[in-house]
Amino acid sequence: MASSIRADAVALEVAGLHKRFGTVQAVTDLSFGVAPGRITGFLGPNGAGKTTTLRILLGLVKATAGTATIGGQRYEDLAQPLRRVGALLESTSFHPARRARDHLRMCAIGAGIERTRVAEVLDLVGLADVGGRRVGGFSLGMRQRLGLAAALLGDPPVLILDEPGNGLDPQGIAWLRDFLRYLATQGRTVLISSHLLAEMAQIADDVVIIAAGHARASGPLSSLTAQVGSAMRVRTPEPDRLLGVMAAARFPARRLTEDLVLVEGVTPDRLGPVLAQSQIVVYELINQSTDLESVFLSLTGPEIAAPAVSPAATGQPAAPPP
Amino acid sequence: MIRSVRAELFKLRTSPGPWVVLGATLLFTALGIVVVFLVGKGHGHVRFVAPVSTFRLRRLIGSGFAVGGIWMAAVVGVLAVTGEYRHKTMTQTLLVEPRRGTLLAAKAVAALIWGIGLAIASLLFVGAMGLPLLHTEGGSVSRLFDQAGAVLPGLFAAFALLALLGAGLGTLVKNQVAAVVTILAITFIVEPVLDGLLPEVGRWLPSAAAAAVAGGLAPAGERAHLLSWWLAAIVLAAWGLVPIVVGYFVTFDQDVT
Repeated sequence: MASSIRADAVALEVAGLHKRFGTVQAVTDLSFGVAPGRITGFLGPNGAGKTTTLRILLGLVKATAGTATIGGQRYEDLAQPLRRVGALLESTSFHPARRARDHLRMCAIGAGIERTRVAEVLDLVGLADVGGRRVGGFSLGMRQRLGLAAALLGDPPVLILDEPGNGLDPQGIAWLRDFLRYLATQGRTVLISSHLLAEMAQIADDVVIIAAGHARASGPLSSLTAQVGSAMRVRTPEPDRLLGVMAAARFPARRLTEDLVLVEGVTPDRLGPVLAQSQIVVYELINQSTDLESVFLSLTGPEIAAPAVSPAATGQPAAPPP
Repeated sequence: MIRSVRAELFKLRTSPGPWVVLGATLLFTALGIVVVFLVGKGHGHVRFVAPVSTFRLRRLIGSGFAVGGIWMAAVVGVLAVTGEYRHKTMTQTLLVEPRRGTLLAAKAVAALIWGIGLAIASLLFVGAMGLPLLHTEGGSVSRLFDQAGAVLPGLFAAFALLALLGAGLGTLVKNQVAAVVTILAITFIVEPVLDGLLPEVGRWLPSAAAAAVAGGLAPAGERAHLLSWWLAAIVLAAWGLVPIVVGYFVTFDQDVT
């Protein structure tokens, strides 16, 4: 199954996207690319325009301006959409009286996918035993699994998942995380929207952050956290000499207390060698707030007028850092 | 397109609504059969007799049409479109078939096929209930079969076209309950009133057009007032196709959020 997937065959691109619902501007001049073969987290607070963007990508909502394409094509122009893109959307619903297996059969018939695949995907998401049950009796977690099964029906190289962890219990979240990793190791491109930052930090390679319909940042997760949030606190008996060394190394630094110095914009692997080289005695080295959450808050918080990392927001995400 | 039609037929088959409608159609057919056997004797007396006249034999074959069973075909058409909105399954459906024109056409065709299926079911029911009844009451089964050719084409066409009308209504109205209520309002209020006040207008309405399409079933006196068969078929098809086309632009091609 995995061998048939060509990672470079498809990727997603959103360019100059605008969407207005009546008087509400949901998405404004949004541009970003999703690199093939990677897990990209599509992050933003509730109401940021994530779902709207994904629905435009999938042809469910029409853009007011701009384009959203899959491998250069609009979703509705794809010859066999289910074999190119699998999607799980937040408000995806099921007919309560229909059996789980029939829900998938219905999709398979419409997409021209062989019926044997239905049993395969039910097995893949762990619903093999309940395929004959009516969806009305399913828990939220089971519905999410069934939605994932539908997304995987065409064995697509690209997956678009809108808040897949919503409503899942901790076991469900853990299962989902493993499952997404498994899908990514097969070389699939995965775009996941979420407002659960901690969750994304664990699985995403790249992130696209939007707020109020605007792109705030995009790029590899590692470079993003390094760029924005990274700061080191150094406890040392010789703070004055440290400040001198930092100035020479062009690291912005300032003294916090008697023996504590804050060095901004550095990661431990950059600061460590400099400290060793200049033989500064260090009692304590604290990596301060380099998590995604602080990046996220700094980018999406209302008090931040200008995004800290905006140039990367257009075009393809940068290559992973060396 | 064929795949989409097959998927739509599968959807109808795996949801309970159309089966309830099938049951209702058979119920109406049973009622229609009984009505054919009942003959008024004046002073409120009725007699149970086997049909002899050509007209009543035809009515027996077309029992599914009489009493309102034909409108069950329209209800199936409504279900084919509005079920997606009611159960919020439109998102999944559009992911499978994002070309909305193709999807709507597939729904209309699937409704049409179910309409014909309802006609077949009602005929089978006539075979199961009407034939034995005819036989035991001393009627002529062979004379009944002689009338089949005059009734069947019109019966199938009427069921198919009313299913199409239902699909159109569903596309336009979107809300399942509102669409079914609209059907009831048209058949029981709008058409009888208009037919009484302005007969010239009334014959262009769906019920009268359907009666004209199933021409052999109407009493001779009434038939003179109806449109010709082919014109009625076109009119009835238009009652389905126009709402489908208008509904496509007004509701079906809109954002699905």
